[in-house]
Amino acid sequence: MMRSLGKNRSHAATVRGRETALPYLLIAPTVAVLVALSIYPLIYAVRISLQTGSGEAARWSLANFTRLASDKFFIEALAHTFIYAVVALTFEFLLGLGLAVLLDRPLRGRSLFRSALLIPMMLPPVVVGVVWRLMLNPDFGAINGTLKGAGVNTESLTWTASPVLALASVIAVDIWQWTPFMFLVLLAGLQAIPQEPYEAAIVDGSTAWQTFRYVTLPLLKPAILIALLLRTMDLLRVFDQIFILTEGGPGFSTETVSLYIYRTAFRFSDFGYAAAMSFVLLLLTNIVSVGYIRLLQKQEAA
Amino acid sequence: MKIVEHGERSDSKTPMKSNRRYANTMLMLVAVASLCAVLPFTGCKSAGPGAKQLSLAVNSGVEGDALKQAARDYESLTGVRVNIAEFPYDNLFEKEQIDLTAATGAYDLIMLDDPWFPRFASEQLLTDLAPLFQKQGQTGPDEDFIRASIALCKHPYETGATFALPYVGNSQLFFYRKDLFEKYNLKEPATWDDVLTAAKTIDEHERTGSPGGGRVYGYVMRAARGNSAVADFMPIFWSFGGEMFGEDHLRRFPQPAVNRKEAIDALKFMIELGKYAPNGYASFNASEVSAHLLQGTAAMSINWPAWISAFSDPEKSRVAGKMNFAVMPGARTEGRAEIGNWLIAIPRACRNADAAFDFLLWATAADQMKKSALAGNPPTRRSVFTDSELLAKFPSYPAQLRSLERSRPRPRTPQWNEIENVFGIFISRANSGELTAEDAMNQANAEIAKIVERNSR
Repeated sequence: MMRSLGKNRSHAATVRGRETALPYLLIAPTVAVLVALSIYPLIYAVRISLQTGSGEAARWSLANFTRLASDKFFIEALAHTFIYAVVALTFEFLLGLGLAVLLDRPLRGRSLFRSALLIPMMLPPVVVGVVWRLMLNPDFGAINGTLKGAGVNTESLTWTASPVLALASVIAVDIWQWTPFMFLVLLAGLQAIPQEPYEAAIVDGSTAWQTFRYVTLPLLKPAILIALLLRTMDLLRVFDQIFILTEGGPGFSTETVSLYIYRTAFRFSDFGYAAAMSFVLLLLTNIVSVGYIRLLQKQEAA
Repeated sequence: MKIVEHGERSDSKTPMKSNRRYANTMLMLVAVASLCAVLPFTGCKSAGPGAKQLSLAVNSGVEGDALKQAARDYESLTGVRVNIAEFPYDNLFEKEQIDLTAATGAYDLIMLDDPWFPRFASEQLLTDLAPLFQKQGQTGPDEDFIRASIALCKHPYETGATFALPYVGNSQLFFYRKDLFEKYNLKEPATWDDVLTAAKTIDEHERTGSPGGGRVYGYVMRAARGNSAVADFMPIFWSFGGEMFGEDHLRRFPQPAVNRKEAIDALKFMIELGKYAPNGYASFNASEVSAHLLQGTAAMSINWPAWISAFSDPEKSRVAGKMNFAVMPGARTEGRAEIGNWLIAIPRACRNADAAFDFLLWATAADQMKKSALAGNPPTRRSVFTDSELLAKFPSYPAQLRSLERSRPRPRTPQWNEIENVFGIFISRANSGELTAEDAMNQANAEIAKIVERNSR
C-alpha cells in the first residue's frame, strides 16, 4: 500500500515535472530559431559594426560610426528616406482615409470598388517596379504617350530620369501601391465603431463634419495609429520598388538608406560600415515607433 | 453535476495523455528535422584528390549556359559529376565573395566577371595555376589566347602569376546605322568628332525618319549610375587622354586623377553628344539603349557583342541588316574599347584542384570554345575568331577581334566596385544636368580619393 502510494506520488511528481517542463519544451524550438536567426545575427552585426578590417586584420574601433557623420552620401540618402517617408505617408493616409470613409457607406458597386482597390497591394513590389518603369519611360511609356495624345509637351517630363522628378515619381508609385493598405486598415477600423455614438450625434443635431471630427476620428484613432506605425516602418526601409525603378538614380537622387546599405554590404563588401548604418536606421525607426506606441497607449488610457 | 464534472475531467485525461505523447513525438521530430537541416552547412564534404565530383558556380545567362553545356559534355566524356550552382549576375558576386572569404570550398570552379578578379586575387582567394600547368607539362596558358584576355587573368595585371583562364571574350564595339551613314555620305567614324558631326546631321534630317515615323536620335547611350554610365564613358574618357589614377597608378593605393583637364573635357564631350540622345538617357540602362536601336530610333551607340545577334534578327529588329559594327573611335589618342571578359578560376579553398584544373583546361580549349561561340559567346582564342564556319555565321568577328586586341581593362583595383559606383553617380549627375562637368569630376575625384585612403589604412 505504502509502496504503491509512494509510487503514485513519484508518478504524480514526474507528471507535475513534465507539466512544468512542457511549456518550456514547446517554446524551445521557437526560442532556438529566434536565437539562431535574430539574436545571434544581431550580436554579430554589433560586433562587425565595431570593427574595421576583416579576418586576422580586424581591429576594434568606432571608425564606422564616425565615418557616418562625414559621409555625404549617407546623409543625402537619409534625407531622401525621410522625404520619401513623410510625403508618401501623408498622401497614403489622407487618400486611404478618404476612400475608407467613402466606401464605408452603402454605395452601389461598393464591393467591386473595394476589391479593385486592393489590387496594387497584392502585386509584388518588383512587378510594380517593372510595370511603372515601363509606364514612366519618357519615349515609349504609357504616361507620356497619353499626355502627348492630350497635347501636352512632354519634352521635359522625363520622370525617373530627371533629377527633379525622380524622387516624386518613386513616391507616387509608392502611394499608388500602398494607399490600399491604409484604406483596408482604416475601413476595418470604421466598421468596428458602434452605431450608438452616431445616433447620439444625430439626436444632438451635429453636422456631418462635426460627426466626423468629434465622433469618427477619435474612435478611429487606434486604427489610424496602427496603420501609420506599420507604414512608417515599411517606408523607412523601402528598397525593392526603388531598386527596380531607378536603382537610386539618376545620379544619387533616389538613393535611400536601405539601398545604400545593400550596396555597401554586397557590392563593396564593407559589412562593418553597412551594419553601422543599419543600426542608425534601426534606431530612428525605433524612435518613431515608440512615439506612435506612446500615443496609442495614451489613447487607450484616456 | 459534480459527478458529471468529474467524469468530464477524467475523460479528458486520456486524450491529454496521448496529446502529451504526441507532443513529445513531435518535439523529437522537430529536433531531428532541424539537425538534418543544419548538417549540410557543417561543411562535411567527402571530395578529395581524384574526386568523381566537381561543383561549379556560373552566372545565369548565355555565358553560363555555354559552360553548363560544356559541363554536361564533360560528364558524359569522363564520368566526373559536375554540380552546377547558377546565380544572376549580382548574386554571383555576393555568393563568390562570401564563399571565397569563408574558404568553405563549396565551389571547385567559379565563373567571374573580370572586374572582380583584382579583388579576389589580391586577397589571395584563388589558386595559382602555375604548379597545375607544370604537372601537365606546360609552362602556362598557350599562345592562342588573346593577349588582352590573358593579361586580365594575371595578378598583378599582365605581369603576375596566372590565377584564371578567359572563357568569354567580350569587348565593346561601336554600332552605327550603315543605311543612314550612306544616305548622308558619312564615313565610318574614326574619331569622336566624326561621331558628333554624324549625330548632328542625322538628328537634323531624320525628325520623322524612324520606322515608326518618329525621330531618329543621332546617338544613344547608357548614363544610368553605376556600371552603365562608366562603361559608356570609359572609351571617350581614355581617348581624350583621361586616366583614373595619376602617375603613381602602379602603386597599391594610387591617387585618382579624374579631375584633370582631359577628364573634364571628355565629360563635356559626353554631355554635348547627349544633346543628340533621347530624353532621359541619364537613366538609361542596356534595355533602353537596345530598345532605341532595335526600334530604329537611334543611329549610333557603344554596345557589347552580345546584342549583335538581336540586330540581325528581323523578329526583334526593325533595322535588321542595317547595323554595322566597328572598332572604337579615337580622339587625342587611339580609340580603345573597354574589355569585359568572363573568366574561370579555381578558389584557393578548393580540395580537388587537379580535377578542377582538368575541367578548366578542357572547357577553355579551342574545340569547346567553338561550341560556346556558336551559342553566341565571343571567344578568347585567335584560332576560334578566325574559324571559317564561325566567320560565316558572325560577320562582325574581324571587328570584334581587332577591338578585343586593343581593348583596355577597367582600372585594376580591388576597390573597383566602390570606385565605379561613385564615378558612375557623378557621370550620371553631370549628364542629367544636375552638376557641371567640372563640379562632377572634382567631387568624383574627392570621393575616389576617400575610398583609396580608407582602404590603405
